[in-house]
Amino acid sequence: MIKISAKSIYLSLIVYLILKSSPIHASDYKAYGFIQPETSIFFNGKGRHGQKNTNLSIFGKGTFISYLQNDAAKFSINILGRYDDNDRELRYLDFQKLKYEYFLDDLEFKIGNDIIFWGVNETFNIVDIINQSNLAEELAGTKKLGQTMASLSYSHDYGKFDIYLMSNFQERSFSGKNGRPRLAMEIDKNTVTYESSAKDKKVDFAIRYSTVLDDLDIGLSHFYGNNRTPELKPNSSTLKFDPFYPILSQTGLDIQSTKGSWLYKLESISAKNGNERHLSAAGGIEYTFYGIQNTQSDLGIIIEYIFDDRNNSPLNNDGVIGLRWNKNDIKSTTFLAGLLIDLHGNSNRLQAEFEQRIADDLKLFVDFSLNGNINRGDFTYQFIEDSKMTLKIAKYF
Amino acid sequence: MKSYIFSFLIIVICNVHTFAMSDEEQGLKIAKDAYDSTRGYVDSTSEQIMILIDPKGNEVIREISGKNFENMDPNDGDKSLIFFNKPKDVEGTVMLSHTHVNDDDDQWLYLPALGRVKRISSSNKSGAFMGSEISFEDFSGLDYRKYDWKYLGEENYENEICYKLESYPKYKNSGYTKRIGLTDQLLRARKIEYYDRKGDLLKTIYFEDHKLYNESIWFADTFKVVNHQNDNITIYKWKNRLLNTGLDEKDFEKSSLNRLTD
Repeated sequence: MIKISAKSIYLSLIVYLILKSSPIHASDYKAYGFIQPETSIFFNGKGRHGQKNTNLSIFGKGTFISYLQNDAAKFSINILGRYDDNDRELRYLDFQKLKYEYFLDDLEFKIGNDIIFWGVNETFNIVDIINQSNLAEELAGTKKLGQTMASLSYSHDYGKFDIYLMSNFQERSFSGKNGRPRLAMEIDKNTVTYESSAKDKKVDFAIRYSTVLDDLDIGLSHFYGNNRTPELKPNSSTLKFDPFYPILSQTGLDIQSTKGSWLYKLESISAKNGNERHLSAAGGIEYTFYGIQNTQSDLGIIIEYIFDDRNNSPLNNDGVIGLRWNKNDIKSTTFLAGLLIDLHGNSNRLQAEFEQRIADDLKLFVDFSLNGNINRGDFTYQFIEDSKMTLKIAKYF
Repeated sequence: MKSYIFSFLIIVICNVHTFAMSDEEQGLKIAKDAYDSTRGYVDSTSEQIMILIDPKGNEVIREISGKNFENMDPNDGDKSLIFFNKPKDVEGTVMLSHTHVNDDDDQWLYLPALGRVKRISSSNKSGAFMGSEISFEDFSGLDYRKYDWKYLGEENYENEICYKLESYPKYKNSGYTKRIGLTDQLLRARKIEYYDRKGDLLKTIYFEDHKLYNESIWFADTFKVVNHQNDNITIYKWKNRLLNTGLDEKDFEKSSLNRLTD
């Protein structure tokens, strides 16, 4: 992640000039993207840290793909960025992908930035570990930052093996002082410490085996490196959090069984974080009713549950019930709603997203994030005043 | 002498029975011959454009490109890749399908916004494809193995004598109960009427712009789909269709999707 500055503008300019000057014919590449103004309104007035009750933001993404060397190689760029009116931590550019890949029969070699997703769940993606989460973007952690890596893959009839070496560790990004929602105290970026003596220069390692057996999609993975999730230690003199990144050794398993309209999903990890070992499992079912009431509409129901044997984990005994409505019309109208329930203390939060194409190259999004009953002891109690609605319009190029 | 005549009668009866196939057998034979005449393409690449027209005449355009790989297994279906290009908000999305004759297909979808490949349920073969009047099920509508058949006789269509065939889907999640189609003397489908789950006439697909590929296989390069219930029309056109291009079957595996996506 690069903070928007003179340096980042130069870097973008250099990439642009390289692309412009490279001898690529018009038919050999694809380029597309979108730019998306957004506005948010918070329902409970000002935030508890004095944050504004409205926000403006502009978000964008660009993708470039080119096949080289008679299609034996591929070069791709996927860059995204945001300029946020309130939160300085949301003024950034990130090369999600900036990679060169070479394909040779059963072998693949890659170098550069990439986004690697592991897992099957809709909500609780506990196996997914390669990329750092961008929590400033979204608390759920599904928004990621590009990870620099070199990887080698081998596929055969019995499955695919991937080996990753990762460098250039990215610290987790959190909302800044004026961000909303934000943690009780700011994150002190000058006091970051690591368990590894190599600190952020540590080369992380991961391996994954994945295969498809009829209706089963199976993945088995292991990761060894700096944990993406820091421990946040309150510092009584600076009144900020000092982040500490332990070494994580995590083995993960993910399985999906697809039987007609039923999807059955399971993710499980066994992890050693610093000196502590913990287990977590998350899974659920998804069922879709197709062509409800003799229309083209589909209605999907998603139920997922997460267990973690650490009592202090924010997600240790939580469930989600989701509905996904797909109108299957010309405007691709969809509505997704999920109710997140902490079964331990009966806290709940509703997340809803509506989207619809309003012109050939314009799409409207309306997102709701609404806090319901939240217990005082719950981790999310600090965000209780941060219920909001966000309106976004994406213009595609 | 008696037994001689009796044997003779049996032979005659059997022969008559063989020559005069039942309507079901004759329907199946025409459908099988028609399907077999489209086989041997090995693999194909194409660009496809859909024009979706509503009753007021408003038009929207969809663009995809496709790759297909022929499955030589007589009991299984082909493999396909669909690259979504337009509308622009779905650009970069790729769908991989391993089709099966009378079972759910295996389908994976690459979603560029999440950088994630999802195995998806394919029980909705009869759903609207990209908001059009065509469904995924219709792309394999000429596969004789998916239907029970009945020959209904001959009928004149655009000054040609065609075979009139009725067919009933075997697939339990089919969106149809019955189809009535016309197949011409070159074994090319010319039009098919589709009846919905309630038995009402739903839509007609007119197969147009027939072209002879590689001097051996006829493909209709335009499907005109008229929905009789909502009066929407979809014009589905194939462009730059190439057969036997030397694609690798490995490109049609989940493990290779990363080679084809961003």
